[in-house]
Parts: sequence; C-alpha cells; structure tokens
Amino acid sequence: MEMKSMTLLILYATQTGNALDVAERIAREAERRACTVVISSTDDYDANSLPAEDTVIFVVSTTGQGDTPDSMKVFWRFLLQRNLGSHWLEGIHYAVFGLGDSGYQKYNFVAKKLDKRLSDLGATAVVERGLGDDQHPSGYEAALDPWLSSLWSRLNEIKPHFFPKGPDFLVSNEELIGLPKVQVTYHNVNDMDSRLSTATDFKYLQMQIGRARSMSSGKVPHEKSKPDAFLKMVKNFPLTRASHEKDVRHFEFEFVSQVIKYEIGDVLEVLPSQSPAAVDSFIQRCNLDPESLITVHPREMENRHIDNNVNTLDVPIKLRTFVELTMDVTSASPRRYFFEVMSFFATAEHEKERLQYFASPEGRDDLYQYNQKERRTVVEVLEDFPSVQMPFEWFVQLVPPLKNRAFSISSSPLAHPTQVHLTVDVVSWTTPFKRKRQGLCSTWLASLDPEQSIYIPVWFHKGLLPPPPPSLPLIVIGPGTGCAPFRGFVEERAVQSQCKAKGGGFYAAFSRDQPQKVYVQHKMQEQSERIWNLLCEGAAIYVAGSSTKMPSDVMVAFEEIISKESGAPRESAVRWLRSLEKAGKYHVEAWS
Amino acid sequence: MDSKSERSAVLAITDDTSYAVTALNAYWEFENENPKRFDPLIILQASSLARLPLESYNVDLVIYISRSVEFPFDELYAEIFRVLVPGGSLVVYGLQSGTKEADTAMSAIEHKLLLAGFLDGKRFHLKSVAQSFGVKAKKPSWKLGSSFAIKKKTVKNPLKIQMDDNSDLIDEDSLLTEEDLKKPQLPPVGDCEVGSTRKACKNCTCGRAEQEEKVQKLELTMDQINNPQSACGNCGLGDAFRCSTCPYKGVPPFKLGEKVCFLISFPSASGMNSCM
Repeated sequence: MEMKSMTLLILYATQTGNALDVAERIAREAERRACTVVISSTDDYDANSLPAEDTVIFVVSTTGQGDTPDSMKVFWRFLLQRNLGSHWLEGIHYAVFGLGDSGYQKYNFVAKKLDKRLSDLGATAVVERGLGDDQHPSGYEAALDPWLSSLWSRLNEIKPHFFPKGPDFLVSNEELIGLPKVQVTYHNVNDMDSRLSTATDFKYLQMQIGRARSMSSGKVPHEKSKPDAFLKMVKNFPLTRASHEKDVRHFEFEFVSQVIKYEIGDVLEVLPSQSPAAVDSFIQRCNLDPESLITVHPREMENRHIDNNVNTLDVPIKLRTFVELTMDVTSASPRRYFFEVMSFFATAEHEKERLQYFASPEGRDDLYQYNQKERRTVVEVLEDFPSVQMPFEWFVQLVPPLKNRAFSISSSPLAHPTQVHLTVDVVSWTTPFKRKRQGLCSTWLASLDPEQSIYIPVWFHKGLLPPPPPSLPLIVIGPGTGCAPFRGFVEERAVQSQCKAKGGGFYAAFSRDQPQKVYVQHKMQEQSERIWNLLCEGAAIYVAGSSTKMPSDVMVAFEEIISKESGAPRESAVRWLRSLEKAGKYHVEAWS
Repeated sequence: MDSKSERSAVLAITDDTSYAVTALNAYWEFENENPKRFDPLIILQASSLARLPLESYNVDLVIYISRSVEFPFDELYAEIFRVLVPGGSLVVYGLQSGTKEADTAMSAIEHKLLLAGFLDGKRFHLKSVAQSFGVKAKKPSWKLGSSFAIKKKTVKNPLKIQMDDNSDLIDEDSLLTEEDLKKPQLPPVGDCEVGSTRKACKNCTCGRAEQEEKVQKLELTMDQINNPQSACGNCGLGDAFRCSTCPYKGVPPFKLGEKVCFLISFPSASGMNSCM
C-alpha cells in the first residue's frame, strides 16, 4: 500500500469569512481528537497535489448569484477539465460542507457541484454533503453541528489511523485553547517615526492606514492595504422626502489627494470611521493605554528573534489608531468562537456558564437570537459580560475586522473629472429586541458636513457592470439605489452625444406610494413591446439593486416579455437569455 | 579518431590542391593516423561552394582547408552536416597571420558550428605548420528521428497537468440534478416568539394576536425605569441573561434600584448618548 498522508486536509473557499470560520472550527475539533490537520484556502493550494492526499474536507461558500468565491475560481476551473478522467481521484476520500442561502434560487450550487464533480473524478464521499443555510433560525451552525458529528464518527470507522489516541479521545476545550495566533509588541517612543500624525499629510495617512491594515490581516504588506485616494465631501443632500421611511442621500466628493481615473460602473470602497467614544470605551475595557505604540504580527514569527530589532516592514503605530482602523467594535457581530474563548477569561461564575452555554450546540439557537439576529456588537457583548478580562491579543484575533463598504459610483468621470458621486441608502432598522440600529458607514457619511473637511480613505475597483460602448442600445433596470450606477451611464452618454440618448426614456416604479405594490418587473411588462424592440436592435441588459430576489424576478420578466413578443415558447426565451449572458450582454450587480 | 581497419571516407574541401595535400599530411601526423588509410575526395573551389555532390550520411570526415581568410559559407556547414555520418567529424583548418586574427576566426567558426548542430568544438594548432589554426567538431551520434524511451508516468504521481486556455472543460451545470435545480424550500420560520418582526394575521386563529396584546402591556412603566426591580435577579444583567419575556429586553444592563440609562449605543462617529 502506498504511503499516504496521515494528515487531514481542510480546503476552504471563503468570501466573507464564514467558510474560513467553519474550516477553523473543524480544524480545532480535529486537534481535540489528536488528529493531525492542515488547513488551506483553495487559492493557496495546487490542485495537482490532490491525488497525493488521503482525505480532504472541503468547506465552500456560494456567493450571491450562485458563483464560487473569488479564491476558488482557478481551483474550480482546474477540476472542470475533461481530461482529468474519472479515475484521477480514485482512492481519495472527501467530504463537502457548503454555506449558502436558501433565499436564492441557486442555493449552495457551489457545494452541490463540487460534491458531484469530486465523485465523478473517482473520489469517495465519507459522509453526505452538509448544507449550511443562512435562512435557518440559527444560521449555518444548525447544519454544521450534526454534519460534524457524523463526520467524526464515520472517519473513526473507516480511517482510524487519523485518530492515534483512539475514537473516544477528546481534549476539553479548556485545555485546547492554546495561544492566540497573533502577537502584539509594545515599543518605546524612540522607535517611532519622528513625524507625528497630523492629518494634513496624505502620504503619511496613507502609510498609516496601509500599515495598520497589513498588520491586521497578518499577510505580507500588500499595496491594496493603502487607500488609493482620499476624498472630501462637497455635497450631501437627501433624495427622499423627510417623512419617507427611507433616507437616501446623494453625496458628492472631491479628490483631495491625487485624482484617480475611474470608469462608470466602477465600485468605490470606503473605510468607515468608528465612533471615538466607542473606541475609547473598548480600549478602557481592555485596561490598555491608547497612546502606547504597537506592532502586530503572526505568532509564528516568535521563533525568529525580533526582540529589539524593529522589523523594517512594521513601523509601530498607536494602539488607538490600530483599533480605530482595523477592529470593528461597533457594527459587526463576533462569531461563536469569540464567546468560547471569552468563557475562559470570565471570572464570574454565571458569566462563564452563560458563555460556555452560548458556545455549545445546545445554546446555539439562543446565541443566534442574542448575537447574530440582534446584530450585537463587541462593545455591547463586553457590557453584558463585565468580568471578562481577555488579553488584547485575543481581541486582535477575534474581533471582526473593520471592513470597507462598497458602493456603485453614480457619476461619470467625463461629466465630473475631479469628483465621485454616490447614491446611498442610510440604513436603519429595529432589532427583534426593539433596539434601534444604524448602518455604520452610511450613517457616518450622512453625518459629514462639507464644511468640516473630513478625509475619507477610498479604494476603486471594477464592479460587475462593464462600461458599454457609447452607441450600444441599453436596457437598464435599477430599482432603489440600483439607479446609482446608471446615473453615471446617463451622464456619460450625455457628454458623449451632447444630446439626450435617442429615444431614451426613464420609466420609474415607485412601489410604496400606491396602495398596491408596483415593482420594477410590472413596469417592465408595461413596456414589453419597447423592450422587445430594443433587444432586437441588439441592446445589452444591465440590472443593479439592493435586493436578493430582484435579479431573478427581472430575469423572469424578460423571459415572459421575450416569449410574449416573439411568440416563441418559454424555453427558447430562457435559452436566448442564457446565450445573451454568455455573449457578455447581460450584467447584474446585486448587493445586500 | 577511432582506428578502424576499414577505410574511412574523407572529403577535403579546399581552394588550393597542393596546399591541401600538405595540410592533410600534417593533419594525419597530428592525429597519429596512417595516411594510407585515407583516400580523400577532394573538392575544389571551396570559397564558392555551397552544395556538395554527395549523398547524406556518406562521409566520416570532412576537412575544410583554406589558405586564405575565407571560410565556409553558412550553407556549407549545413551541407557538411548532411553528408557526414552520425559521429563523423568536421575539421576547419587554415592559415592566419597573427594570433589575434586567428582567435577571431576560430570564434566565428565555433559559433557557426554550433548553429549548424555540431558538438564538441575544439581548437587545435599544427606544430609542423607555422601560423596554422583549426577547429574540429563532431556531428551528434544519433540519426535524425531516432527515438529514446519516454518514461510513462502513472496518473497517481503529482504529474503537472498543464492548464491551457483551450482545454476542454465540462459543463458545470451538468453536475446538478433535477432536485438541485428546484427552488429551495425555506426552512420553517421559527418565528413563534411573539414580539419579533412577524405580526399576527387580521383574522388570527392561532392565538398569536392575543399573545401580542399581552406583550404590548409589558412595555416599561416609568416606575420600572426609575426604580427597576427584578424578581429573578437577571433583568439587570443584560440581554445575554434575560428571559425571552423579560420586560427589560433590549435595554442595556443596569443596577437594581438605579435609574435605567438608555444609552443609544455609539451609532456614528459623531456619537450620541442620552440618558432619560
């Protein structure tokens, strides 16, 4: 028999961090059972090596429109090659756990396809695929807990060599906790860059943000950690009436740093600012000095003697700045593991018990009610558990990273060469416990006063709506803030043609103003003939908006219109639309 | 050169016959060969030669002898290569006035030899002839088109499968079953807890409407806010410890007997705090 790997391999493909979280949990559970385990993202793993493995666990997310996460695209393409044959993975065992949302038609498509493909390539499934569902009352953990149970039990049966200490061996969570994955080094004032952080120097600000975010992600300093540019708000006014439930704003920004050349359809990412009071309160709670100078690095580097040598890549920054820029303490909810680790550091017995309960399978639903559904923040959790004194390193590892918020740009650079415009819904909602919450980034932007000169760090990247050639007829569907990118499209056409687009028209659907709800697909039906004519002229279709269902509803509307106007059967219409997609003439950008 | 008993076919290309004979003799002496073994075919007008009237794989040794600085045309190298047997040799030999020029000439020849496919280029001097120089090289010793064993790698080894853009990919949609393609069933909404977002129907028959009425009544009174008490002792601890029916649900933690403070938790960078 060939010498096969005695290590269990976990491959994950994560988009927002959930699949990574699950992969890490599986790894911890393996370690508790004395099973040697290795975890890797699919974009860090060479698919050529798969046949040399013994058993591989896959944890894969399905993104919004049924696609693989970006980190899995190359890996997946490799697996789809016909010439791999049906014996390439013979002798390999595998298991798949998928994360998805049954609110979408293409529910967990990535996991389902992967499961089938692996089997077609000759591999053997250890257990049936597990499908985590965001729509479930307690999220993906509901499917994960029983799936993991059956995985361990089955692996013990067929692969006992993974468990050298026997099937019943199980290290308690307490013993396993180990050390945090990060290390924080405190520095002398003398090590510090002699320039003080005065906000006017953009290069310095850029460096500071870049450093903080590189340290936080634990990866090699990446050019993308530094913001592409800084913007300043010059206009801020509402698009909705004051009495309206929604507050949608039109923002206009100007470049204060260098001007970045962008295109219509591009996406602007904004690093939101956190409330200074919240950040201070958090630091106080950790009993730390906000002014202390720190560097943060992965714990593996401990073996190399850093000591007094300041790693040239890591210039120290203020603790306060690090927290402010990289640790989300006021908007994102922590994960289950946060509660598990907290339980070790709770000194009050009732708090310890409660935290352990929340971290257990029995307490999973209650945790979901308390934490995920309520959108409980780190600061709020700490308020409820005052006896917990957790070392800062653990916070750095477990507090959700402060994420950029992405917006579709609503201006055309041809019309506004030194400006960027956005159309933003200032989100606010009431939680199940009747608490009023607001979106971090949208609220912050809405609160900015053009007189103030607050600098906004931003990044630019391509979205899913490529700029169309100037003369191509277009059908754009953009309900709500979905109209944002198309405002840019229209501005651009106006500049390009110096006149209104030929035969252009805007058909708006205001769904809440009438007694019966009118949605964009109804308006489409009203314009059925026009739409068909445009399609015959070779029009491309662009759809954008903030709804999960809307894109598929719109697709259905197109199918109906095409079928009706052309007289062709529904299946033909469906096929025709699919070929339109393949030809690159049907684009969707949906955000949640 | 190998000492064969049989005669070796030699081709001499030169532009000066008498000089060629002398040079040849000197060469045999240099190589410790018996001149009688060789009966060279001599071809004249070397400097203008581009084609050889011989069949391929015919000759063991080609000697190109020149008295002047003229050296073979590029095409001739290819011809010589053609007529030589595999393993056969080419010797290019000439006279040059100075060592420097000799060096330059030899480098040029070596380069051309390499381009034509010759191997083992070596320089030499004939002591017996003043100011002579030469380069000799070999034609590789396998015939064109000969095959050698290619190790067949088993599929199991990490054989690098090249990903090329035109490679044939299967249709990924074919991996889904009928079942997979059906619209997924949403999990039952465990929304029985009254007071959450779902509201009772107008003609409610399950009793939810009554429950909701009860919950409305549980809203906090002024007294409950100013002087909060808790029978179970958990109300002040925070949402993490409260019962689902606790009147203080959603309220920040407080101390019993002290007025409850409705902190609006740090909504924006501009921050708002308010205590009622």
